[in-house]
Amino acid sequence: MWNPNMDNRQMEKRVVVGRVRPTWARNLPEAREDDEKSEAEAGVMPHSEPPSPTETWEQHSKHEDKYDVFGKVMLLGDSGVGKTCMLVRFRDGTFLAGNYISTVGIDFRNKVVTVDGVKVKLQIWDTAGQERFRSVTHAYYRDAHALLLLYDVTNKISFDNIRAWLGEIREYAQDDVVIMLLGNKSDSGLERAVRREEGQRLAREYQVSFMETSAKTGLNVEAAFAHVARSLVAKANPVDPSRLAVRAQPTQEQRSSCPPCS
Amino acid sequence: MASTSKDVPAVVIQDNPPDDLEPGACHDSILNPTDSFEEFASEMSSSLQERNISLATKSSTISEIQSEIGENSAPMKPTKSSDDLQTKDESISASTSNSNLTEQNGDDTDTEKDDYLQSPELVNKEKHVFILSSAGKPIYSRYGNEDKLAGLCGVIQALVSVVEEQNQDILRSISTNDCKAVFLVKGPLILVAVSKSDESETQLVLQLTYAFNQIVSVLTLTQLNRIFEQRRNYDLRRLLSGAERLIDHLLIFMEKDPAFLLGAVRCLPLPEKARENITNAIQTTCNKIRDLVFAIMLAGNQLITLVRMKKYTLHPSDIHLLFNLVRSSESFKTAESWTPICLPKFDSTGFLHGHVSYISEDCQACLLLLTVQRDAFFPLSQAKHTIADKLRRSNCLVAINDALNRNEELPTTNPLKHIGIPEIRHFMYKCKSTAQLFTSDPISLDKLQDYRLRHKEGGDIMEKKVEKLSDIDYVRNYRKFCSSIHCTSTPAKLIFRSNSCDTILAWVTNGFELYVTFDPLMEKDQAIKAVDRLLKWIKKEEQRIFIMHAPTF
Repeated sequence: MWNPNMDNRQMEKRVVVGRVRPTWARNLPEAREDDEKSEAEAGVMPHSEPPSPTETWEQHSKHEDKYDVFGKVMLLGDSGVGKTCMLVRFRDGTFLAGNYISTVGIDFRNKVVTVDGVKVKLQIWDTAGQERFRSVTHAYYRDAHALLLLYDVTNKISFDNIRAWLGEIREYAQDDVVIMLLGNKSDSGLERAVRREEGQRLAREYQVSFMETSAKTGLNVEAAFAHVARSLVAKANPVDPSRLAVRAQPTQEQRSSCPPCS
Repeated sequence: MASTSKDVPAVVIQDNPPDDLEPGACHDSILNPTDSFEEFASEMSSSLQERNISLATKSSTISEIQSEIGENSAPMKPTKSSDDLQTKDESISASTSNSNLTEQNGDDTDTEKDDYLQSPELVNKEKHVFILSSAGKPIYSRYGNEDKLAGLCGVIQALVSVVEEQNQDILRSISTNDCKAVFLVKGPLILVAVSKSDESETQLVLQLTYAFNQIVSVLTLTQLNRIFEQRRNYDLRRLLSGAERLIDHLLIFMEKDPAFLLGAVRCLPLPEKARENITNAIQTTCNKIRDLVFAIMLAGNQLITLVRMKKYTLHPSDIHLLFNLVRSSESFKTAESWTPICLPKFDSTGFLHGHVSYISEDCQACLLLLTVQRDAFFPLSQAKHTIADKLRRSNCLVAINDALNRNEELPTTNPLKHIGIPEIRHFMYKCKSTAQLFTSDPISLDKLQDYRLRHKEGGDIMEKKVEKLSDIDYVRNYRKFCSSIHCTSTPAKLIFRSNSCDTILAWVTNGFELYVTFDPLMEKDQAIKAVDRLLKWIKKEEQRIFIMHAPTF
């Protein structure tokens, strides 16, 4: 899908705080205002790692819902930080109060989101945080396009383990995988054990995006997935605006890839 | 008023249904009917040396299947090494150790510990189960917090090792007036049950073995042994975190469901045609998937169908672990899952990989597709959707729902009414050759629901008599009979006991085991006539209440 001769590597890594519209997005329709806003509030640092030439992207669905970009997103983090709750909030808009549902192995769910007018199908892999499932989850790191790495702001140990998680990611995941660090349970008030600045600092150190979220109140949950979706679109679309224009009208693109049968 | 087989005429046997097979029996069984009791008998009699050898070597069925499948086996070879959670994970595992554990380990003083044994969390429970490592580290306690039981675990470990080292013997049980403590040493673990119930020693050993198998199912025996070879004082709770609920649930499950008592599997009663359609849907969809070993459909702790790779059968105790896994994992209800599962009787050395999902939102049947291929999720996910579509089109989902919701029109919903022998209050029947079970009143799901709640509050010894017996109480009453029938030294063939509460008949033949509770004033010949009619009814309904075929891919 990528043109290997095109030197995308010139693009430098940037850390931008606040409201920003990336270069690649200028030709796309205006984004929904609220998405942008929540992103700005959270102080997202878009991760603009250039895409790898070997990356394979499935651009079109054969059945069901139509989408323009497809990406596999994996939720990682210690057990009990709220990975499943986060996903359920995102998918169904509800909060799993009360019972602790521990994931066994990996759960798979799909959701299509629209960012900046582009439909992105996210195949989300919700992993079990427990140590004994590591060997299963490792096998799936390599296929993931984006990783949401969660810790629990009320649990210092889950935050301290983030470095180890990032080490694992480096070992098993693709080099250009989109990584986003999320401090979940940000609604916890007094029980908080990890300050927001600490999360930000760590994210900056590893050059990954960062947000604080709450699956309970829904704060930044949409925004986090929207950010991931946007990064995936960015990866699928190189900076070249002419290519972008094509990507914005996916049906044409599909036709052009098929030789005219006359 | 007790009497044994001798004085009951053998007429009953001649009156058996005309067919030469007992009700529920068929020539081909989906399950491996090895009786668990035989195994426990050997477990109980083995010497110290035998025990050490038996756990050491076992061939791997999984690698056998993999090598048969051939081409794909090369990258998968490391079932052993790459499933090893220890290798690459040191960095994380060193720091990940569960936060709760480290905090609570803190500053317990000795006096606190002593008091803890008297705390309401622990006192007056009918049965305790403790699991510890052979080094004496607590791993699991049915009640209370195992962290605070380090002292008790030390005592248990000392008792076991003194008998082992000084007397070259095995400590099996300690009996006091009202209480039995049963010990089971399995590999690097020590399991102890302390019970005030009327369960026999064998039944308690059986339960402990299940608890051990549950741990193996989560880790594999290979890994369990290796962990403790490398570090004798390893804290196993780190690897088991999240699995405690599996053990909790299993122990409760075992107390209530006669399937464990009899080593048999309960099937969901379904019209023959519906079960055939379900089996066909699975067979036709999955016969192209080469690495698939078992496809199992179950609902509410009952088996709907099982399709298997030729040559391989499942042991009922492995199916019980699968039932337990499905029952205790809420997360399966919300998404398709991919999870490693070790089935200890099938192959304790490695994991099978399982695609687990509920058939649809409106049908609580769960489909498990077990394969040796570690990256087969997507083909299996595809297969599941195809199967679900087929079942919907052939109206099988309706049939399953009818059976699950116990539709009044089905003869199996209220068998006692349908049979029409008012003196029979309850019965349970096991067909030995197929290891399948049928009871007059299936333990319904809601009775096992809220197990967490029951676990917290229940388990206490009840003083007052219950007015009306539930099916669970009937099964509890059968325990004694069951253990005299399975007694290794002098097994009884037929027991007829009558007292002011009820009359119980327990009868075992080569083909089946039958336990019936009658009204108290039942005469022997009356009972025999009733049992005869009961067997005829079971024979008539056998296609519906049992799985009579053993389909393969």
